[in-house]
Amino acid sequence: MNDTLQKWLVSDAIAPGMLGCGALLPDRTCLSYSFNETCTREQLDSMLHQLAETMALLASNGLASRRLTWAFEQGRVLLVARPDGLLLGLATQSNTEAAQNVDRLAADFLKLDLSH
Amino acid sequence: MSEPSKQHQVLFVDDDRAFLQVIRDLFVSWSEDAWQVYCAESADEALGILKTRKIDLIVVDVNMPVLDGIQFIRILNRRYPHLKKAVITGFATEEKRSTCLTEGAELFIEKPRSADGLKSVFTMLCELVSWTPQKGFQGVLRQVGLYDVIQMECLGRNSSILEIHNRQIRGRIYIEDGKIVHATAGDTVGHDAFQKLLSLASGEFQLQPFEPPSERTIEGSWEFLLMEAARVRDETASQAPAIKTAAKPEPSPVAEISPAVSGFPVRVSETLICSGQGDVLYAWQCPDVNTRVTLLQHIAQQTTRLGQLLPLGSFDRLEIQLATGRVVAQVKPDRMILVHTAPVTANHSQKQA
Repeated sequence: MNDTLQKWLVSDAIAPGMLGCGALLPDRTCLSYSFNETCTREQLDSMLHQLAETMALLASNGLASRRLTWAFEQGRVLLVARPDGLLLGLATQSNTEAAQNVDRLAADFLKLDLSH
Repeated sequence: MSEPSKQHQVLFVDDDRAFLQVIRDLFVSWSEDAWQVYCAESADEALGILKTRKIDLIVVDVNMPVLDGIQFIRILNRRYPHLKKAVITGFATEEKRSTCLTEGAELFIEKPRSADGLKSVFTMLCELVSWTPQKGFQGVLRQVGLYDVIQMECLGRNSSILEIHNRQIRGRIYIEDGKIVHATAGDTVGHDAFQKLLSLASGEFQLQPFEPPSERTIEGSWEFLLMEAARVRDETASQAPAIKTAAKPEPSPVAEISPAVSGFPVRVSETLICSGQGDVLYAWQCPDVNTRVTLLQHIAQQTTRLGQLLPLGSFDRLEIQLATGRVVAQVKPDRMILVHTAPVTANHSQKQA
């Protein structure tokens, strides 16, 4: 599972404007990739744990969601959840190729076959 | 008589003292004192100047000892995201150019070797320092519902101008203290213009700072205006024979709205507005107000932490996509807003009727 996910994250997610991306596995371990020096892997891991915490809190408040978007002045952070518990986090800068790819990446992530 | 123009504060950072001297002498003279030129021979010295002066434009040499120009631009981008930045180098390569522009420099210039070259650099920097970035934010109707933006502005009691355009039409919606006061769409003004703009299936919009309109042509609650616009839009879409605008029914407590995103009617099912401290200012149909306030406070704390982790500027909103419907939470220092919209169901439509 990790290999497929790893390959997909590295090959598909990288684009100009992508600060970093990562997946939070059901066992709470992170698989993060930084594509910009301003955003380290440690920061991405921390971000993923925080976002997962919010998703859980929302669910406990009757707002269960599979897609959260934090919109900032200069970019967006997206969290997408798969039914198997895997979470994808993407941090992109506004008006960039990466920002335009976000919907496609989220859709691909949901369809990604991780059975082998 | 024209008003005196603002003196631009420009900082040059280069370890070549002689070059700085030439720049200072020539650029001050060419600008006819419209520029105040500061010079620093290192990044440290430049940071010291930035702390004490309000600099409009910084021009950084790439090849500096200790901290090179690219690293320095990266730091500047984090600490001073709104400062205009240009990079200058004696050894330009495509790779350097690409890196500098990616790191936030607006301009990448090769160091000139003649007086003519210096004049060209001065002209380019003049253009850059005089350029005013657009305030507000912009978007595309298909990505963010126009109704959502208007709702947010009205709920937040903001004052702004929403400029909307596509290939056929260009218009403006004036929002003053959370009230829709005027609209123009081509030659049309008032309610008709407002409805025309909200009927657009695609286009782009920009939220601009408020300026008082030449006239005020719209009155009434924004909830009702949105509901009416949605109704007109639906009727137009289904080619109804007449558009009724004269007889206005009493506004419903629930604003049924039709977002440009989906084309399916949705209604606001829950609204909460709090002060920045969590005092409830307005709550409507919240299942549990205290829990919702706690949730908004959690979002506020978390966005602060996210803002510290990622160089993305200030937080605007959290969009929560639900299985049916959507929640938008906006957190600002002085207020927190949560709006829950849900699709209109057959039951709800019957109740409304």
